[in-house]
Parts: sequence; C-alpha cells; structure tokens
Amino acid sequence: MSTPARRRLMRDFKRLQEDPPTGVSGAPTDNNIMIWNAVIFGPHDTPFEDGTFKLTIEFTEEYPNKPPTVRFVSKMFHPNVYADGGICLDILQNRWSPTYDVSAILTSIQSLLSDPNPNSPANSMAAQLYKENRREYEKRVKACVEQSFVD
Amino acid sequence: MSKKQLSAVFVKMGDKVPTTKYDPNVNQDELIMKQQRLIEKEIMDSIPLVGDKEDFSSLEGEYDGDDIYKQKVKNLAKNYKYIRRTRPDGNCFFRAFSYAYLEKLIDDREEFNRFRELAAKSKENLVALGFPQFTVEDFHDTFMEVIDQVGKHHSVLSPGAPAGEDLHKVFNDQGNSDYVVVYLRLITSGQLQRDSSFYQHFIEGARSVEDFCHQEVEPMYKESDHIHIIALSTALGVGVRVRYMDRGDSAEVIAHDFPEGSLPQVHLLYRPGHYDILYPH
Repeated sequence: MSTPARRRLMRDFKRLQEDPPTGVSGAPTDNNIMIWNAVIFGPHDTPFEDGTFKLTIEFTEEYPNKPPTVRFVSKMFHPNVYADGGICLDILQNRWSPTYDVSAILTSIQSLLSDPNPNSPANSMAAQLYKENRREYEKRVKACVEQSFVD
Repeated sequence: MSKKQLSAVFVKMGDKVPTTKYDPNVNQDELIMKQQRLIEKEIMDSIPLVGDKEDFSSLEGEYDGDDIYKQKVKNLAKNYKYIRRTRPDGNCFFRAFSYAYLEKLIDDREEFNRFRELAAKSKENLVALGFPQFTVEDFHDTFMEVIDQVGKHHSVLSPGAPAGEDLHKVFNDQGNSDYVVVYLRLITSGQLQRDSSFYQHFIEGARSVEDFCHQEVEPMYKESDHIHIIALSTALGVGVRVRYMDRGDSAEVIAHDFPEGSLPQVHLLYRPGHYDILYPH
C-alpha cells in the first residue's frame, strides 16, 4: 500500500541514487522500505578517515513529519554517539524539519563526525578525551576505524 | 520542609521513595521521545484532526460552575453561531486556519483564483530563499492538489455541501492533512526569513530569526504564537480574527486581527494553548 511516508521514501531513494552526496550511501532493505541500511565513510583529515561505518535508519509512517531513528551498527567512539549506537544530534530530535531527506540526514551525521559537540555528550568518556586528551581520543577512534573494516 | 525531610516523612508513612538513578548508558533522548509518542497516541485515538461543525452553545457545557468562562461564552455567542474543534497536537493553528480558509473558498471563486495563483508561485519563492527544492516540491504538490480539489467544485452546478464533505475528508486524512500543515509552516518560515529585520523584534532572547524558524516554525507539532500568525496571514494576504478567551477579568472576549487592520476572512477561537474554528452569524 502506498502511503505518504512510503511515497516520500521512494523519492528519497531515487534522489540518493541520481545525485549521491560524497562519502555516504544508503538503500532500503530488500523487503522493507521502512528500514534502510546506510554507510558513512570517515571524512578526510579527521581521525575517522578511511573508516566505513554502517548504520540503520528506521522510519515510521509519520516520516517526514517526524525524524527516523538512526543508529550506528559499527562500533563508534564519538562524543555524541551512545553505547547502543544511538546518535545525539539536534536535527534528529528537536530541530527536525520535514524538509530534510535521507541524503540530508546522512551528510549531517557525516559532518558530526568531523565536528563533535562535546557539550552535549552521549559518551562522556569520548567527550572528555576529545576536550582534554586529543591524542588518546584519536587513538580510540582509530581503533574503531580498524574495527569497521572487519565488521 | 526540605526535600530530605519530606522523603523521610514518606518513608515513615511506609511509602517507597522512588529511586530512579540517572543511567549514562541509557539513551535518555529516546526514552523521552517514547513517552511523548504514547501521550500523542492517546490524543490521536480520541480526537479527530478536524471535527464536525457544532452549535456554539455546545461550549457552555464545558464550563459548568465556572462563571468567568460562562459569561464569556455567552457574550461570544452573540457573534458566533458554530464552532469546529481541531485536534490539540501543536498543529492546530495551521490546521484550523487552512480548513476554515479553504472552506470559505468553496463559495468565493474570485478569492480562490487569487489564492491559487499565489500558492502556485509560492514554491519558487521558497526555493529562491534557499529551501531545498526536492523536498519542498513534495509538499507543494500535495498542497496544490488539495487546493484544486476545492476549485473543482466551482465548475459543477451544485457547489456547497459535497465540496465541504470532500474537504473534511482530506483534512481528516493524516497524510494529506499533515502535508498541508507542513507547507504552511514552510511559507511561514519563508515570510519570517524574508522580512527578518522586522520579525527579529518579536523574538525573545538571542535567537536569530533563522534559528527560531528551525526550532519553532518548521518542525511539526510546535505550537503557534502571534509571530506565526502575523507571518502566515501576511504571506498569504488572508485576514484572521482570533478571539482570545482566557481567565482575564473582562466579560468581553478580546479580538485581534492579523495582519492589523485587515478584513477577517477566518475566525478562530484561542483558549490557552489551542485554536478552534469559529463561524460568525
């Protein structure tokens, strides 16, 4: 059955294929357009460089009026990523706008990797190291990058 | 009594002091959102997006034993014959406004033509302001479909009742209804940003107009204030009269017209936190 959410997700997918932003990709799972798999490549000149981080995006019938639930499947070490992979990002919560599509979501998360916000931490250890011991922070992140090749 | 003493009393009385410790491993954002969804669902299941027209006197029953409100309802009844309630989901201003206005357009072909032209052009204006074309288009398409459904009835011989029924159906279909609300939010946001030097004065704190739009205008379910109403009524050239019914002393119910000095085409009743549609005699 076609609903506004499903119609819109088909459009999002078409756009992502025709006009893919650099460093991100995503597609619906085989049998369910409401659940997507996505990959974000670690941005250059950041400790995340060369990593291939997998995510799942779960939509409800209220999309695009409500944001989807986005989660890293790959292990992450980042001030704004929870232990369960959940992401603390304003546009996925109180600053969500129905004008965002999957492409905008993925590029926003990609830029969160380059610019963490240590003031609203989801991982307090990562936030602390990011602020006080950048070398150790980068070491931990690089371990995740290497882990991401294996996953 | 301090909090500590208070909990000591509870313990003595045999009550359990709730101990919810903050667990840093739990995603608090998701927990809060889950709870919020539950509340929303309850409202969703019990109140339609837009209800049927009711006799204005039906309001009186709500205020038994409340003399201040009762007197206000009585006074308002001199001006208004019917009320139509909307679901209190934070979108009620936009939903009430668009329903009332489109309903009016069923019988006003000239105004319909003016509005259709303005609505058709509005997408390009938003894109020119920097809104993403791809997604704005999606909402605009649905918005125009809903408008054209109203216009369709101008060409048939017996306008009136069936057009109203169609409109009612469209507005109670969550998908279409919400798309109309989203698009009006975008138009409101566009108007605020286009004329930001003026609207900046209405925004409290250090927020920029752009931030305000991202936080209070574009997201669904965010409640509307004067500033939203001024911007939307100005952008569309549609006068709105809002009747403010609160616990104030005066027996009269204050009317505000937006934009100031305009001829009201839509009448709304505001009770703290919520808008419904009013129909004058």
